[in-house]
Formats: sequence, structure tokens, C-alpha cells
Amino acid sequence: MTETTERTGRDDTIALKVTDLKKHYADAERNVFDGISFEVPKGKVLVIVGPSGSGKSTLLRAIAGLEPIQGGTIALDGTVIETGRPGNEKSGRVKRSEELRTKFGMVFQSYDLFPNKDVLGNITMAPLLVQKRKKDEVEREALELLERVHLADRAHAKPHELSGGQRQRVAICRALILHPEILLLDEITAALDPEMVHEVLEVVVELADAGQTMLIVTHEMSFARAIADRVILLADGRIEERSADAEEFFTHPKTERAREFLHSFDFVRHRDAQAERELREFDAQ
Amino acid sequence: MQGANILLEPGVFPRLLQGLWVTIWIAAVSVALSVPVGLVCGWLMTLRNPVIRFVMRVYLDFIRIMPQLALLFIAYYGIARAWNWNLDATGACVLVFILWGGAELGDLTRGALQSIPEVQHETAYMLGLSNWQAFIHVILPQAVRRLLPGSVNLATRIVKTTSLAVLLGVVEVIKVGQQIIDANRFQYPTGTLWVYGVIFLMYFIVCWPLSLVAHALEKRWAND
Amino acid sequence: MLDWSFIGRYASFFVNGAWMTLFISVFGIALAIVTGVVCAAIQTARIPVLRQLVAVYIEVSRNTPLLVQLYFLYFGLPKLGFVWSAEMCAIIGLGFLGGSYMAESMRAGLQAVPQIQRENAYMLGFNRRQTLVHVVIPQAISVSTPGLVANVIFLIKESSVVSAIALADVMYMAKDLMGITYDTYEALFMLIVTYLIILLPISILGTWLERRFDYARR
Repeated sequence: MTETTERTGRDDTIALKVTDLKKHYADAERNVFDGISFEVPKGKVLVIVGPSGSGKSTLLRAIAGLEPIQGGTIALDGTVIETGRPGNEKSGRVKRSEELRTKFGMVFQSYDLFPNKDVLGNITMAPLLVQKRKKDEVEREALELLERVHLADRAHAKPHELSGGQRQRVAICRALILHPEILLLDEITAALDPEMVHEVLEVVVELADAGQTMLIVTHEMSFARAIADRVILLADGRIEERSADAEEFFTHPKTERAREFLHSFDFVRHRDAQAERELREFDAQ
Repeated sequence: MQGANILLEPGVFPRLLQGLWVTIWIAAVSVALSVPVGLVCGWLMTLRNPVIRFVMRVYLDFIRIMPQLALLFIAYYGIARAWNWNLDATGACVLVFILWGGAELGDLTRGALQSIPEVQHETAYMLGLSNWQAFIHVILPQAVRRLLPGSVNLATRIVKTTSLAVLLGVVEVIKVGQQIIDANRFQYPTGTLWVYGVIFLMYFIVCWPLSLVAHALEKRWAND
Repeated sequence: MLDWSFIGRYASFFVNGAWMTLFISVFGIALAIVTGVVCAAIQTARIPVLRQLVAVYIEVSRNTPLLVQLYFLYFGLPKLGFVWSAEMCAIIGLGFLGGSYMAESMRAGLQAVPQIQRENAYMLGFNRRQTLVHVVIPQAISVSTPGLVANVIFLIKESSVVSAIALADVMYMAKDLMGITYDTYEALFMLIVTYLIILLPISILGTWLERRFDYARR
């Protein structure tokens, strides 16, 4: 499990490398993270799972530059882009160049489209304003992306006219059009109605198949199992288990902590199955 | 700068304070009487009866769209004469402020009552409380919290608006100030600046604490 | 009953009065909006010292009556050598009073834009100016608009006070005609009608805008 983290020097196959990341808040006694290290190889999908409050989202936000870190380094594509320093507790966005920011594509949990723009406007805004690309080229690409997520006919809809699942798919397009090195997905289905979860996850699976590098935080275990190349179990700000073989993690976890965690989901699934069985018996009567 | 000495003339400051007292008295009576009127209006506004709804709507919209000074003129020169009322200027002011305060407070009350979730009524019903008990013990305490910040703000607005009473000839703080300025016109030609300055300050000293209270209440109860 | 011939005879008085009301209001409100933008910008950018000054200004402006502000400007300040026309005093007075209300509405709009919208803009690589112009301000406007329209109505109503410094607005005309003709009811009727003609359209516009912009808060 440590075969790559120990390695030093440049490695062309690694997209994101986090080394000994430390984070704490000014007013809290406990550290949020106390030295976390992992890496995401290019074209691979790393999924972070863990109980609520384990710091999964904070980790993603720190990598995105939305929260400062107090120790360790974050390296993108072999270049260290941020070095944590103690005394840097004031929360807020980190100073990063516009270009660097567009190398991370982020989709948040809540629907976060700009309400004042239509779908196409949301997607084309950043390439036009930040990357100064040509309008017709950008719009063509935006429409292609919408085609991929089956929303080509909603290009001129306003965000409030879309369902939650549709909004999340547009948000994914908005991140993809900047051609990010890595896509960060923070519980993107957590606020969705169950019937919409599938349409969003399907899009993400297609992206993974196409070789998009991704770092994903999720509660959807079946999705995690289907999409992950590697898995990290985060609990209480520590990496409790890591696995380069996702299937292995879900079927034969090595640590007690992972077994406990996965068991809680089995229980839920078991309970759902039982409820369904009872319902069917009831209908049969 | 010696114009400031006008404020030190014997009797000047006590007279201004007396004027301020009249202002505060008008405002206090108006606010006190607005409360019952406002609660009744608010209750009427929540009723489903279309006639009552329409009447309350017109009443509230008319009061809101007319300048307060116009309302004062209508009350003092119009209503009083039409009904042969012997309404003096002070009475007309209080009447207008009650009608205005009542309408605004009514709308606040309506908003507060309607903002309480239906499930609160349902829970009270399931616990076996009577309608009256539910209103007193469940609905009202929650409504008052939502009502209070806006009501204190309204009180500030009523205090400020009492300044208009001078235009109907009520002898309140501004009128007293004008009398002082007139009486000392030759001795203190720049007295105007100081007297109006003091009146300005007096209004601020009365209104500011009210604003702070309203703000504090808003903050404290914002998350409930 | 009302004497309808009065209306024919004196309608022009109220038309002139309405023009004065609108003249004072338009310039007063324009001044208030400029003041409001400056104050809201200073508060949002948290510029030290200026920020405290703005806070003091807002409290003073909101907690004193316009009539007293006008008397101070029109009768008081000339003693210090600042002599302004009644129109100028009325416009400055309305601007001074309205500036704080406008600033508060604008600030409320800016604060209502969720943090996540700024985070998105950051992730998409927008710089501060782009974030402000393309993301924050368009959303803030939709939240602020109902408040801003309410302020406009409030300031036009408050402008009725300028009759006290001898400006011939709607209010002044009504008072004047009551003194000259003793046709009290007719004058009051025209007073009400004139204010309704000025204010009802703005009020209806405000309600319409509020509905239109509602999506921003959903």
C-alpha cells in the first residue's frame, strides 16, 4: 500500500500527489488531518469513502484551494503547487493563479449553477472569460459536452427550470470544458432524489471509461465499487485503509475499521431488501 | 461660535426637553394603541373571508402608498370636518399614527402568524390542546419572536414621523425650537444652526437605541 | 359631494406640483443611489476608517427625521456660510436620507449571494473583477431590486416634506388651495389622486420585478 508514496522525484504517471498534508482550525484542539499522503495516477479514479465527519469534503476542498493547509505539500503533474505553513489557519480561498485553478475541475454537492445564466452561458463563461478562447469553438464544444450528458436540448434552459440531476450534469460539463488535469467530485449525488442519482453516476462512469482522472468523495458504495481504481477509507482525519485494488477493498477489507464501515452499508442494503420483500408479500395478498 | 451660547440661555434647554417630551408622548401613545389595532388587523388579514381580505388589502395598500404628511392633512382637515369632530392637531397625529402603525403592525402580525409551520398546529391538535390553548401556548410565543424586531423598527419610524406634527401646528420639540430661534433672533443670529443641531441630536438619541434593540433582536432570533 | 369643476380649474396646480415632486425625487434618488453604491462598496471591501465612517453615517441618516435634516440644511447651515437653494437642500436631504437605505438594500443583496457561488467562480479561474461582474453582482441585483424599488417609493413619499421649506410640490399645492379656496375636500381628493398616479405604477412595477427575480432565491 505504500509502494508509490515512498517514491521521490518526478513521475510522469502521477496527476496529483498529496504528501503529509496537515490541517487544523484556529479554534479547534484536534487536527482535522495529521499528515495524509496519497496520489492519483493519470487516467485513474481514486475514491475516498468514510463516515460522516471524517473530513472527506475538507480534504477535497483543501486540494481545490478553497481552504488553506498548515503542513505538507500538494503537487499537480509533478510540480508542487502548495506548501502548508503553520499559522495559516484563517479560512478562505488560497491565492492561486487563474490558470492553475482551471486545472482542477470541481463539482459540489449542492446545485451551484449561476442562476443568472442559461445552461450554455454557465458552461461557456469560464473558457470565454478566463481562457479567452473563441466563442464559436467554445460553444461547439459545450454542445458536444451537453450531447454526451444527454442534455443537448436544454442548452437554453435556465438553471431553475432543470431538475437536480440535470443541474449536476451541467455542472460536470462546466468543469470539463476547461480540460482540467483532475476532476474533483464532492458528494455530487448527496442532495439528489434517488431516481436522479443514476443519471448522474452514469455520466461519471462514462468519463472514467474515457480516461478522465478523478478524485471522488461519495456515500454511494455500489457506485464507488463500480468506478474506483483505488480506494481510501478516511476516518477521524486519518487514512484507515488504502487499496490499489478496489474490488479487493469491498470484498475483503484488511482492517477491522473497514469491515465495520462496509458492514453498516450491508446492513442498510439488507434492510431495504427485507422491506421490499415485505411489500411484495403485502401486494400479493 | 458664540451662537452656541443660545443653548445656555436660561430656560432654553428645559423648554427643548419639554418639547421633546411632547414628541415622545405622542409617539408612545401611538405605539401603545397601535399594538391592539395591529394584532386585530393581523388576525383579520389571515382570515379567508374574501370581503374582509379585500377591505384589509385596500386599507393596507392605501396607508402604505400615501405619504404620512398627506395622511395627516386628510385626517386633520378632511375627516375631522366631515364628521364634525373636534379633533385638534395632536389628536389628528395620534389618529394617523395609530391607523398607520396598526396597518403596518397588522402586516407584520400576519407574516409572523403565517410563517409558523402547519405542523405546529397539527401537533397541538394531536396533543389535545384546544384552539385557544394552542394559540396562547404554541403559536403566539413563536409569532412574537418573529414580530418583535419589525415592531421595534416600526416604533423608530413612528418617532421620526412625529416630527411632521409641527406642520399641523402641534407645539412639540421643533416648534419649541422655532420659538426659541425667533425670540433670540437679534441676540443670536446664528442660533438657528445650534438649535436645529440639538434637535437633530435629540431625535438621534431617542431613535438610535431603538434601532440597536431591533438589530439585536433580529440577530438573536434570526436562527430560530 | 365633490365640486367637480374645482378639478378642472385647479388641475394645472397639481400637475405643476407633481413636476416639482418628481424633479426633487429623481435627483434625490439618483444622489441616494450613488451614495448607496459608494457606501456598499466600502462596506463590502472592508476598507478601514472609511468603513467606520459609513457605519456612523448610516446610523445618523436612518435615525433622524428628514424634516429636521431639511431644517438644518436650509435654515441652519447658511449661518456657517453654506447657502443653498431650497431645491438643492431638498435633493441633498433626500440623498442623505436615501443613501443609507440604498446602501443597506445593496449590501443585503451582496450578502445573499451564497459562498459556493464565489467558490465556483474561483474553481473556474475567474479573477476578482470577473467574479464580481459576472457572478456576484447579477445575482445581488435580483435580490436587492425589491428593496431598491421600495426605497424609491419611500423617498418619493418622504419628498412631501419639502413643502415645509417652501417648495411648491403636490403637498404644498394642496395646502395652498385649501387656504385660498376653502374647498378642502376637493383639494384633498386631488392630493390623493396625484400621489396615486405617481406611486401606483412604481408599486405595481415593484411587485412585478419581485416575482420576476424570485428564481434567484429558490
